[in-house]
Amino acid sequence: MNKTIIININGIVFHIEEDAYEVLKSYITDVKRHFLNSADSLEITTDIENRIAEMFSEMLSRENRQVIVEADVKAVVNQMGTVEDFEHADEDAIPNPHINPFEHIGGTRALFRDPDDHLVGGVCAGLGNYFNLSPVWMRLVFALLMAFAGTGFVLYIILWIVIPKAQSRADRMAMKGQKLTLQGFKDNLEEEMSAVKDRMESLKGEAKPFLYRLRDFISELFYHTGRFFGTTGKLLVKIFAIFILIDCFLLAITMIVILAMILFWNTAPDGMFPFSIVDNEYFGWISVSIFGALFIPVLAIILLILKAIFNTESITRSSAMVMLTVWLFALGTGMYYGTKVAKGFRSVASFTQTAPLLNSSNNTYYLKLNDIKYLTGEDSARLDIKPGFKGTINIDDEDFEMNEPQNMDITIEKSDVASPVLVQTYRAKGNSYQNALYNARGTRYQFTQQDSILKFDRKLERISGTSWHDQEIHLVLKVPLNAVVVIDDEINRYVYGVDLYRCKEDNKKDDQNWAAFKMTANGLECKVDTLVIKTDTLNRVK
Amino acid sequence: MIAENTQTQMRKGILEYCILSIIARDETYASDIIAELKKAQLLVVEGTLYPLLTRLKNNGLLNYNWVESTSGPPRKYYALSDEGRKVLEQLDTTWHELVFAVHTAIGKNN
Repeated sequence: MNKTIIININGIVFHIEEDAYEVLKSYITDVKRHFLNSADSLEITTDIENRIAEMFSEMLSRENRQVIVEADVKAVVNQMGTVEDFEHADEDAIPNPHINPFEHIGGTRALFRDPDDHLVGGVCAGLGNYFNLSPVWMRLVFALLMAFAGTGFVLYIILWIVIPKAQSRADRMAMKGQKLTLQGFKDNLEEEMSAVKDRMESLKGEAKPFLYRLRDFISELFYHTGRFFGTTGKLLVKIFAIFILIDCFLLAITMIVILAMILFWNTAPDGMFPFSIVDNEYFGWISVSIFGALFIPVLAIILLILKAIFNTESITRSSAMVMLTVWLFALGTGMYYGTKVAKGFRSVASFTQTAPLLNSSNNTYYLKLNDIKYLTGEDSARLDIKPGFKGTINIDDEDFEMNEPQNMDITIEKSDVASPVLVQTYRAKGNSYQNALYNARGTRYQFTQQDSILKFDRKLERISGTSWHDQEIHLVLKVPLNAVVVIDDEINRYVYGVDLYRCKEDNKKDDQNWAAFKMTANGLECKVDTLVIKTDTLNRVK
Repeated sequence: MIAENTQTQMRKGILEYCILSIIARDETYASDIIAELKKAQLLVVEGTLYPLLTRLKNNGLLNYNWVESTSGPPRKYYALSDEGRKVLEQLDTTWHELVFAVHTAIGKNN
């Protein structure tokens, strides 16, 4: 049993066996190449094709067969004559049957891209053939050149555009420096057959399936890009489409990398938005469904562009159906879990704690940001801090874990009693009141007082394992009447209701990084020029 | 090499003359021409005939008609044009002169 192919020779349809087709195709390619230089090439080759079609018809009807076999093709080639025969008897004086400008530059070998041994476009294999080296060396050279600002890449692209692909058997033989003789043809055929066998075996066994798949994928891309460069029409549209195509490819690759990072390396950090919203149990599902919902449209765009500009059948009906189904499924799953996550924000709960503070000795309060991070047991283990560590750890990084919105604010009010008080209101969302309250409790806030110095944490910390549910802390600092509050630049953005810059201006001290306010019966007011703050006190605070 | 070149030159001239002569008899199809040329051992393969016919036709020596065929695509049947007929007459004359010349020249050798 043999596979047959249906071919059309100038309007006549034939069934031809696959191997016979290969022989015929390379013969006709050779003939066309031979006559390419002649002014009447089209007419001559059409005549020859017509005659071949006629001979086939005669053979089939004479022997009452339906399929052309290799012997038929050989008989026809015998009668018609090979390119070699033409060259001998040619009176149209075609100087060189191969019009390739690269041919016969350095001896008998011709420079072609090698379609039989290609990883990408066959450039390296072709160069290897030309210089009689293993393609591996050429690939190595190109890989090294890549390191120099992508020189190798650009060079490769240029060579790949300029060097023609070895199409016919004659090309391949010229490429490998074999003579165009019948014996050569035979050798070449045998070599091809054994190469096919080798490939089958290597595919079965050790093989490099990934490498081959990558190769096929890339070569597809390059093949199509090559076709694009071959045609001149609609060039701009195609260039534009190519750019979109490249973008889509990059996008697709990025998505795959991100998904892989999330699923296999668990890189998505706990605290990073938007990952921090999602409870861990839904995490994998949501990642996969978001990936599917985004990736498939990109894939579809890629395939559509390929189809539009290169006229390929890159999307079959069934694959389109599969893609649509997967996409809808991903969308559905994403929406399901998305709603689940969104439900986690339905209710709000808050609770309040009031902490009495000590009166400062001089009735002045310095508001400072905590520059010490209080480390949990996990953090200590991660940072390899030994128990009994006596030093302090300073957090220099302003943006340390600042990828969530600000969740701490301070308001300053007048205290009803003679001593200062700090009112802490914790607030969070959840899918029910209970859950919201639970989320609000799953937090930690550090506040310390050292006599007149009040130190506030920058943010409300979530206890590890709790997902982000808009947890907030509102602080109300109540100070007694006539108390002085000193606010510096750092904490200013957390303090509501005071105008630090205005106060600095009023004091004509724009370069100073703090300002003092006094609690009056009407609330906090800027204190102008009457307060003397000892410089050494400030320095100590710093 | 030189011998080969001369042979090719001689063959080329004669080949054209023969083709014109064959076509002069009747409207002829390419494969009939090739059959006769093969018999005369002037040509071996068919493929070389087509460029020749095309060139002769483009030089205005030949005309062709498309004729439907029972087996395969329509065939081109070639016939001499008026111009072709004139050229053939000239070639006839030239050929007889050549035969005379060759006979005279070689005859002395024998």
